[in-house]
Amino acid sequence: MRTISRVAVSVFRESVRDRVPYNLVLFAVLLISSSYLLGQLTAGQDIKIIKDLGLSATSVFGLFIAIFIGIGLVSKEVERRSIYALLAKPVSRPQFIAGKYSGLVLTLAVNVAVMTVAMYCVLGYMTWMETPEFKASWDAPGVDPALLKAILLIFVQLMLVTAVALFFSTFSTPLLSAALTLGLYIVGQFNADLRNFDQVVESRTAVWLARAVYHVVPDLSAFDVKMQVVHGLPVSNSYVALTTLYGMFYIGALLVAATFIFARRDFK
Amino acid sequence: MKRGQPAAVVAVAAICFAAALGVQMLRDARYPRGVQQTAGLLYLRSGEAIKRLSLEFEPLAADAYWIRAIQHYGGERLAQGRPRNYDLLYPLLDLTTSLDPYFSIAYRFGAIFLSEQYPGGPGRPDLAIALLEKGIQAQPTKWQYYHDIGFVHYWHMRDFRTAADWFQRAANQPGAPNWLQPLVPAMLNAGGDRASARLLWGNLLQGDQEWLRRTAARRLRQLDALDAIDQLQQIVSRFPPSPGERYSWELLIRRRVLRGIPVDPAGAPFQIDPSTGLVDVAPDSELQPMPREADHKRQ
Amino acid sequence: MPPAIQIEELTKDYAVGFWRKRPYRALDRLSLRIEPGEVFGFLGPNGAGKTTTLKLLMQLIFPTSGRAEILGRPVGDLQTRHRIGFLPENPSFYDYLTAEELLNYFAQLFGYDAAERRKRVTTLLDRIGLGRERRMQLRKYSKGMVQRVGIAQALLNDPEVIFLDEPMSGLDPLGRRDIRSLILDLRNQGRTIFFSSHILADAEALCSRVAVVAGGRLAAAGSLTDILAFEVRGWELVVSDLSPAALQGVTPLAQRVTEISPGRYALELGLNRSPERVLTDLIATGARLVSLNPIRDTLEDFFVRQVAEVGTGARATFAEQGRHADN
Repeated sequence: MRTISRVAVSVFRESVRDRVPYNLVLFAVLLISSSYLLGQLTAGQDIKIIKDLGLSATSVFGLFIAIFIGIGLVSKEVERRSIYALLAKPVSRPQFIAGKYSGLVLTLAVNVAVMTVAMYCVLGYMTWMETPEFKASWDAPGVDPALLKAILLIFVQLMLVTAVALFFSTFSTPLLSAALTLGLYIVGQFNADLRNFDQVVESRTAVWLARAVYHVVPDLSAFDVKMQVVHGLPVSNSYVALTTLYGMFYIGALLVAATFIFARRDFK
Repeated sequence: MKRGQPAAVVAVAAICFAAALGVQMLRDARYPRGVQQTAGLLYLRSGEAIKRLSLEFEPLAADAYWIRAIQHYGGERLAQGRPRNYDLLYPLLDLTTSLDPYFSIAYRFGAIFLSEQYPGGPGRPDLAIALLEKGIQAQPTKWQYYHDIGFVHYWHMRDFRTAADWFQRAANQPGAPNWLQPLVPAMLNAGGDRASARLLWGNLLQGDQEWLRRTAARRLRQLDALDAIDQLQQIVSRFPPSPGERYSWELLIRRRVLRGIPVDPAGAPFQIDPSTGLVDVAPDSELQPMPREADHKRQ
Repeated sequence: MPPAIQIEELTKDYAVGFWRKRPYRALDRLSLRIEPGEVFGFLGPNGAGKTTTLKLLMQLIFPTSGRAEILGRPVGDLQTRHRIGFLPENPSFYDYLTAEELLNYFAQLFGYDAAERRKRVTTLLDRIGLGRERRMQLRKYSKGMVQRVGIAQALLNDPEVIFLDEPMSGLDPLGRRDIRSLILDLRNQGRTIFFSSHILADAEALCSRVAVVAGGRLAAAGSLTDILAFEVRGWELVVSDLSPAALQGVTPLAQRVTEISPGRYALELGLNRSPERVLTDLIATGARLVSLNPIRDTLEDFFVRQVAEVGTGARATFAEQGRHADN
């Protein structure tokens, strides 16, 4: 266990030295400048737009980190051969995979946490500046705790994408891993459509195939509750729990597969 | 690098950039790039296509289209010296609501401004109703949508029976305010009169949207202007000018009937036709365009 | 006593080629036994299978057949890793870490507490001669500095068995002298050292036993003295004050005559000439003895010959003898 956390901390440290935290600065600048500029443009919709922007940017920035660091997690170590000295130490290959994954998840967690705080700060300021009558017209409160549900699911989705990237990283080149991970992310967003193929298409085989793909591909569209949360529509806790559980199991499957592949690999 | 060379390199780069800017301005002066005028220039018309492209970011895309819709409407409304073209308003609002079906402001904004008569809007109450019905599909219990449809029927289409129907349905929705129910008999009994108009617009004055309230206030000022015109018209007909004289405010002032030139609620002086004596709101008054007079006779 | 390293019939095949994969045998039935406390030189030209063997021992790659044990446990055993150290060839670590941070990280993986780590890291960095540079990021290091850090990380855990792949690569003569004395120190501490190299001078200076591999096969193995003792090929007689007449007289007797300086000559005599006789005769002419040494095969000669023989498919007779001697 401790070995895994040591490897994880080293991944986190590498991401800091690779200047990943600068994306937080970009996020903050984006959010704050938007809140300033949007006031004139949107006929009173700025709170909604800041929420949309904050949640979407958290997701997108996290996605970039998950994919671009994730694809190199294993392949970079193998390619620059730093793994030779590492695996001569008392670190098993499964521990290595677990540590690398945990490290990136840790990086993402810190990232998402900082972005959440920043977003709530901006929302708090905007709420404080508004008249009570105006606030009565909002679909949901400005500083809305329900946003955390959306953020939690965004985070689980990021963990899932990271696991996909790590999985590909154990056996393919960074370029191919990036393409495959991104492709899977995009298909995962359309997953809901595949489920309901029977409403669109006649052929039974096509429907069956679509349904099979729906279950195999990670169901990322299910993690998106941003619209509901921003409009103050209820998101049940059990939905959040079930979706998170789905994510955890899928991640488990990917990590086990990644470990299996990695354990048998020759490092040329 | 030799001494002084970095400065020279920077200077050359700056000059090139300045030249590029200059050429750009020159080109823009010769070939002006206008705003997208016609609906045909919207690259993507299909809500479904944009939904696909937006992946999980549909609400953000909806926000972008909403901003565009407002800019488009505002830009056209305030345009000077050229005919106004509101062709893009409905498509933009349609896209906004396809991407985010819960975007209630977009439906209501559409209701008001799509129905507005030219030059205040495209004068398309049918599109307004279509948009609102789409909203009802997404949120069947939102009383505001039913109310707005009723309003469009009442104000723009003069169909008081249908308006009453929709107001009733609005009143039946959960959470409906209690000023909705009295609108129904008001429609059925006295549909076309100024009092019921005052009633409806007065209700919207309490509404939760800033721009809705502003619109309502303006409408009420227009109704006040119509009342004032009626009063003035009576005075004018009681004191016609002598033969050879023309109608004017100065005449009445000289006769001590009026104390000064009457102004409308926006502060612009009413105008009086010199030959017919008809009083009206000045063409350059902020209250223009006025609602159709024939429909707002005092009872 | 169990051997430090035991390798039995270790074989590694690779599948090469894009469409139709042909097997390429990188290591062919290698068998070796290294006793504790030995400094064992694993020699061979490039591509001979040295690094393949080391990777198999570190379980970076998996054998096609055969097996190996380190300290009595199968290769890859996690507990054994606490007792061994490994320096890869042309090592590369994490650029963004400093030497201190890297060693500290590896020390953490061994489970040492903070005080213990600090002590070991400082001692090792001093030992390999890294001063203030230890706080610079590795990406700024020269090849020699990285090599030293590599050696340091191999010694972090006071290993009983140390595996070094080309330990001298990238080092200048001073550095090489340092590492040589380091290896001798380690040997004096009773540790086992297995190192691969193509620099024979180092092997000659350090090793008790060597093995020569070429083309994936073991060409020869045995103690250095055994290998080289067989191969005395002549004598080198260095005399001074040699008169031109005496020079003329002795030249046909010698295989080679080299003038070192006026009057001082080095004479290579074949095994068929008695060096004592020649010396006596030369002294009679007034020459003086400077030195008399046997000419042994250098390791290089032996090496080249063994490699060539393996290349022609034949195995050196000595290899058979050497193997019997090991058993």
